[in-house]
Amino acid sequence: MNNDVPVSSRRQLRHAAVAVLGAVSLLGLAACGSADPTPAATSSPAAFKPVAQEKGSEITVWADATRVPGVQAYQKTHPDVKLKIVTYSGDANGANDLQTKVQLFDRTGSGWPDVAFSANVNDGTWASQGKTPYAAPVNQDVIPQSTLKGFADGALNPCTFNGNTYCVRNDLAQNVLWYNKKLMDDFGYSVPTTWEEYQALGEKVVKEHPGYLVGTAGDAWSAEVYFWASQCPASTATGARKVKVDLRDSKCTRMAKLLDSLIAKGSVSKDTVFSAGFVKNEASKVLMLPGPSWFGQVLFNSTFKIPKGQIAAASPLKFEGDTKNYTGNVGGGLWFVSSHSKNLKAASDLVTWMATSDAYQGTAGTYPAYKKAAVTWLANQKKTGYFAEDVSPVFMESAELIWPGWSATQYSQEAIYSSTVIPALNSGKTLTDTLDTWQTAITDKAKSLGYTVN
Amino acid sequence: MRRTRRPRSLAARLAWLIVMGLFTLFFCVPVVWLLLATTKTDSQIVRDNPFSFGSLGEVADAWHHLYAFQDGAILTWLQNSALYTFGALAITLVTSIPAGYALALTQFIGRRMLLTITMLVMLMPTAAMVLPLYLGMNAVHLDGTIWSVILPFSFFPFGVYLTYIYFSSNVPSDLLSAARIDGCSEWQVFRLIAMPLAKPVIALVGFFNFVGNWNNFFLPFVMLPDSSQYPAQVGLNNLLAASPLFNTSSGTGNQIMRPELALATLVTIVPVLIVFLFSQRALVAGMLAGATKE
Amino acid sequence: MTTHPATERSGGRGGRSARNPVGRAGYVFVSGYVLLLLAFGVLPTGYAVWLALSNSRNQLVGMGNFTRTFADYRFGPAFLHIGLYLVVWLASLMILVVLLALMLHGRMRRTSTSLRFLFYLPGALAGVASVLLFLILLDPAASPVGWLLKSFGWNTLAQVNAPGHLPVLFTIIAFWTGAGGWIVVMYGALNSIPDEILEAARIDGANTLQIALRIQIPMITKWIAYMLILAFAAGTQLFVEPQLVSLASWGMIPDSWSPNQLSYQYAFQAGDFNGAAALSVDLLVLGLACAALVVFRTGLFDRDKG
Repeated sequence: MNNDVPVSSRRQLRHAAVAVLGAVSLLGLAACGSADPTPAATSSPAAFKPVAQEKGSEITVWADATRVPGVQAYQKTHPDVKLKIVTYSGDANGANDLQTKVQLFDRTGSGWPDVAFSANVNDGTWASQGKTPYAAPVNQDVIPQSTLKGFADGALNPCTFNGNTYCVRNDLAQNVLWYNKKLMDDFGYSVPTTWEEYQALGEKVVKEHPGYLVGTAGDAWSAEVYFWASQCPASTATGARKVKVDLRDSKCTRMAKLLDSLIAKGSVSKDTVFSAGFVKNEASKVLMLPGPSWFGQVLFNSTFKIPKGQIAAASPLKFEGDTKNYTGNVGGGLWFVSSHSKNLKAASDLVTWMATSDAYQGTAGTYPAYKKAAVTWLANQKKTGYFAEDVSPVFMESAELIWPGWSATQYSQEAIYSSTVIPALNSGKTLTDTLDTWQTAITDKAKSLGYTVN
Repeated sequence: MRRTRRPRSLAARLAWLIVMGLFTLFFCVPVVWLLLATTKTDSQIVRDNPFSFGSLGEVADAWHHLYAFQDGAILTWLQNSALYTFGALAITLVTSIPAGYALALTQFIGRRMLLTITMLVMLMPTAAMVLPLYLGMNAVHLDGTIWSVILPFSFFPFGVYLTYIYFSSNVPSDLLSAARIDGCSEWQVFRLIAMPLAKPVIALVGFFNFVGNWNNFFLPFVMLPDSSQYPAQVGLNNLLAASPLFNTSSGTGNQIMRPELALATLVTIVPVLIVFLFSQRALVAGMLAGATKE
Repeated sequence: MTTHPATERSGGRGGRSARNPVGRAGYVFVSGYVLLLLAFGVLPTGYAVWLALSNSRNQLVGMGNFTRTFADYRFGPAFLHIGLYLVVWLASLMILVVLLALMLHGRMRRTSTSLRFLFYLPGALAGVASVLLFLILLDPAASPVGWLLKSFGWNTLAQVNAPGHLPVLFTIIAFWTGAGGWIVVMYGALNSIPDEILEAARIDGANTLQIALRIQIPMITKWIAYMLILAFAAGTQLFVEPQLVSLASWGMIPDSWSPNQLSYQYAFQAGDFNGAAALSVDLLVLGLACAALVVFRTGLFDRDKG
């Protein structure tokens, strides 16, 4: 059948193809530069030089749908400020929309939003990097020191690089020990204060009340709930773009062993709390659940539909050998002021209002990172009457207990845990078996983004 | 229109019924589930039988919640989507149908090269095209305008190929030669001979162009700087990101849960289904025309 | 080998050229498209190829970006995943689409129209919109097909999304959303075969199977070839399905499962547009190799062949 194809035109086509290939391969051989991607700027310029300011000019704000009503409220109380509000995904659920767009803006040299909200706590890592980092160092005369000092201890750690603060924190997601007070009372158990007691109770539950759960290891943030609290050096920044990853450390293996034993017995689930299966079959059997502060309303109340007056929070657990109890953190939003902004004054004023004001943060959905607003927020939580006990002391205590040895990185620990550890657990491996694979996954990913791993 | 054929054996009919039944189930069960999901509360969706029916009142509730999202943003998204897709559709039809026709039924130097280049460009992964397109739009100062979406949407090599294959395998060039001998100009040949035969392929090209653009997320996401310009897919992405299901920092009091997402999904696919039905009619009408062509 | 009676090459090439002289008409007809092609096809592709051969300081680096991305620890697995996926995807798509189109063709018009509509339905659900669907569909506890998933021994979302299942899972999703459209195209192609030919064959005593294999399929070769090229390219460029399932399973699918996803990671996570372009060119070359093979084997670029 190929006889129908005119020979001459096939030859032409081949000639054309050969010519194109030849040209491309010539270009390919004519190398005169290094193929290494731009080496990441290791140190940012010492002093931040704002662009020429235009007083009273319009500022563009990017925020997610949850934060936009807050920005609109700011506009109402500040009618003279010219605001353009753009709704975007807010980088929720592992998206990197802000970074994608900023990369394009960097190429064309225009378009950056003056203010941006991100729900991804790791976004500070890239926003503080590059020739001209997107984020302005807000500690350099953009936001007053007194305001920055008002945030909870360590709350600005994910924003701090090379001694500068590149963002302010919207909310904290400090982990506490959630428990069902009604069930605990019914079963006659007391709330554990150490991980050892927690493990013992987990084993006891299996015997006395099989089916009830004391935790889950199948959530993306399980690493941040258990391993961060255990002070496991899985993500310890040791310098600019330098990170230490050592999952063979005893602080990691102790937690892996603890979870493995409870998974094997059945009181720690391999499922994730938001899956339909878990909500349908396991939610009412959750006796205890170490997890972030937003679990209270978002998970127990809205998703699990546990009735009022049952859920309570206890202090983060500690290991018997340790002197102090530490906890981890699951997410938390960030506010950026653009280093390219022509109206830094308006931009920083908006960011300050959004992150610190009682008017907005006091009634927000999540625990405010700003201490004074958190007090108002907790009072409002108490008014809802959902919790069996006032969660204020526990929330305030744990906000200051976040172990500082776990740093924000440009890659997401959650994504690595979900795609590496959870499938392994579900194929029957133990966490202890998986530590090496997990270590490799973190190391490879870190190196691919230009980190030095040691 | 079809002549009666020999009766088929019972076994053949049974096999046909079984295969078609299985595939109908495969394609439809999830869609039926989605329809039912809008009639239930979030908790019912998770806890009840997947095929249970809730109540119509729930549909109304879900719609109220959905409409309340950013003060009726969903309608703006649909309007924008319609503007971009229909704008692009018009340009696509005007450019790709004549192009496909010319590639199939006229003679010109560079015909093969054009076919080859079209194929080459069609095979280029879109991820690599985003930056060049963005820089290009920026260079001609069209970034941020509706044209930065409509113009790339109008470039539809897939449709050119469909038209090309359709004309080259269905319309005999002798038919056109006869018309030329009768003194028709090239334009008349196209207008009077080719176009009446082209209905099915116009329907196909129009339909695929519409659906592809309607469902395109990445290009409008990259090009449009303003949320009032968002089309449905970008809007839906924001809706998804606002739901506590996917956004742990969304906090409470958020009404966007599974029923609202299911409803939003259905609302945004209605235009696609309408266009499908229209194009199907054209496909059948064209088929009749095709049957009498000889 | 031409089966179209009306397209017997009565005049031959020379004759046709004489009657349809090389003229300006062709150029006029393609002009609008060519403008779009240059602006939104050729220029961006050219720029992407340039990106693949240069670095961020606009210096030529030759094959540097290719060797660099080739050495990436994710390169091998991503292409392996795609290889497995392509096998499952191409086989199921080619066979089932042609089979379903043939079975729908020649049936009562109304039944056939409704079935095509039903088969197409999921195609409308292609975008972001379908995340919710997969969130529930893949979770055996609440899924409308839960019994089926459980019968395979998969009782949780994580078991359904086990790494070994992914190529098949993505094929099912891609087939579910994509097959309907192709069935419509193939059905249209089958419709354009004149009834007389089929009738004549039937009178000659050919049965349904013989008609399908000897007449219908050979007459829609071009359409099948076109589908093969695009399905192959779409398969190598798999992006949407892993992203959707990843979103619906809170990240259980690696973010660089497929090469196209890896390319996206390069561009927008690492800010390395050059590496991203190199990966895209790899995929382009794969697609072109398949296309070249198919074009030369089937004569897709030649006229007057069915």
